[in-house]
Amino acid sequence: MEKAELKTILIIGMAGGLAKITAGLLVKKYPNIKIIGVDSRPIEESIQNENIEYKRIRYTRGEFEKLFRDKEFDVVYHLGRMSHADTSHLGNLEQRLDLNLMGTRRILDLCLKFSVKKVIILSTYHVYGALSDNPVFINEDHPLRASIKYPELRDVVEMDQIATNWMWKNQGDIETIVLRPATIVGPQIRNTMTRYLVTNYAPVCADFNPMFQFIHEFDMANVLGRSLEELPTGIYNIATDECVSLKSAKKILGCQTIPIPSFIINSTAKLLSTAFWSFPRYILDYIKFSCIIDNGLLKAHLGQDSFRYKTREALLLSKLD
Amino acid sequence: MLDNISRSLGVEIPKEHFDDIFTQLLNRYPEGEDPWGLNLKKARHTLEWIWPLYKKYFKVRVFGKENVLDEPYMVTSNHSGQIAIDAMLIATAFATEVTPPRILRSMVERFFTGLPWVGTLAAEAGAVLGDRQNCLNLLNRGQSVLVFPEGVRGVAKSSFDFYKLQRFTRGFFRMALTTNTKILPVAVIGAEEIFPWVYQAKGAAKLLGLPALPLSPIYFPLPSPVDIHIGKPYETPDLSPEAPDQEIDIHIDNIRTIIRHLTNEGLKERRPFFANQVRGS
Repeated sequence: MEKAELKTILIIGMAGGLAKITAGLLVKKYPNIKIIGVDSRPIEESIQNENIEYKRIRYTRGEFEKLFRDKEFDVVYHLGRMSHADTSHLGNLEQRLDLNLMGTRRILDLCLKFSVKKVIILSTYHVYGALSDNPVFINEDHPLRASIKYPELRDVVEMDQIATNWMWKNQGDIETIVLRPATIVGPQIRNTMTRYLVTNYAPVCADFNPMFQFIHEFDMANVLGRSLEELPTGIYNIATDECVSLKSAKKILGCQTIPIPSFIINSTAKLLSTAFWSFPRYILDYIKFSCIIDNGLLKAHLGQDSFRYKTREALLLSKLD
Repeated sequence: MLDNISRSLGVEIPKEHFDDIFTQLLNRYPEGEDPWGLNLKKARHTLEWIWPLYKKYFKVRVFGKENVLDEPYMVTSNHSGQIAIDAMLIATAFATEVTPPRILRSMVERFFTGLPWVGTLAAEAGAVLGDRQNCLNLLNRGQSVLVFPEGVRGVAKSSFDFYKLQRFTRGFFRMALTTNTKILPVAVIGAEEIFPWVYQAKGAAKLLGLPALPLSPIYFPLPSPVDIHIGKPYETPDLSPEAPDQEIDIHIDNIRTIIRHLTNEGLKERRPFFANQVRGS
């Protein structure tokens, strides 16, 4: 897609830190574009720029369609996936399914209806699942096995599949990019894994030590920005070359750990789960088994130096923050 | 504790030699870890524990070290001994007795990587899931891998089949062709007698859904002296990895013949052990 064609960009999920950094990078790179950032959550307007407009809006409602009609977006960033890790209350699952599945479907249909030129969708490497028989360097064609053991991950996988099926079906009419990043870390990112990583005296499995890839939030935002012009339709894993074990990551971050056998952690998580609160047990698999993804396809398009920070540097920077 | 055990067995850990090995390995793995879970610090620790067993208990001798050059190989060995002690000994030999030292990436069964402690310990020492993609990724990154083309058929043999090479699968050779990696044939002599009197109850194992069911009066590994014979590298031919089976089979038969020859010659030179059972294929 050519730079000259760019006029208006919609960013969905603007309350998130990654969306804000991406918006900041985009207005710097394309001084004449207008960005509309929307979210159903309250948005802290930390980046003040005349070209960025914030709107709190439910993107399953009619007013969302009005926004598409009025603004004539050239590009849509869908960064608004609701986290699958937070299972703190009963209504959460329903809300998540509505937002992630129905919401995504609706966004994609609106993009097609209002002739958006490019859609960039943020999925996650969690779709591959953390399984003991994962090969190292999983590529984009690998089966999405996350929901085999844990049905609560079904919406994560299904959202990815909705996006990719839609992508191939409409590839003649609209450019679509699905990004599956490894764990993103940084001061703006507050996902379950980053919280776990920086928590002192958090339990780790005494009997397992999986490998991880970490991307700094700036690098991820940069990939989101560059994907606008430099990535063609397709699915891309986003990860650094370097890997680090969970226990080493904790050491780099200067956090003390309590090694406990995995079966005790598992039983405790089961015991602590109640009707009103449940620990996302699938997370335990991610601290037991590796899910290392292949970044070859991304590097083929963005070059060997797609990232400023290596895994260890990204962790060290998180520590500084 | 390790020092005490080593001393009581009458074998010292060659600390300077190990320092030298791990300094060289650190150049190859500067972060001390790799994506497959290798951890040099833990690998050294494991190696120091294995060393007394390797040197004193199994009294391992390595022949043909001069055949190993500074290049990646697909190390292809006969499989024996009911449990994968042979893999542990070959990997120790390649880490400590060949130049330059290398962490051989042993391909392990799928169930193994999910085992608490053991799976992680093996991965930290260099073992990897026996998956085609994994193997190709390792070879493409210039690492040497250890494969047993006989699979479970090789390791789980009854005493009357000891040293009889089983049928080789073709996958390993296709992967060597894909990555243009030389095959390094290896024969292990003596590992069969670690558990010398075994009957494999194949029917019962099938009924119970187990890969093997060895019946033996002894389930404790005996100190059978082990010899590792390394053959000359077998160059991969100019063949497509997708070549028909009959074209591949010629080379697999050649490799099998080399390993059979190494085994038969090795059997002639083996050291006496009360449980030795000389069988040839």
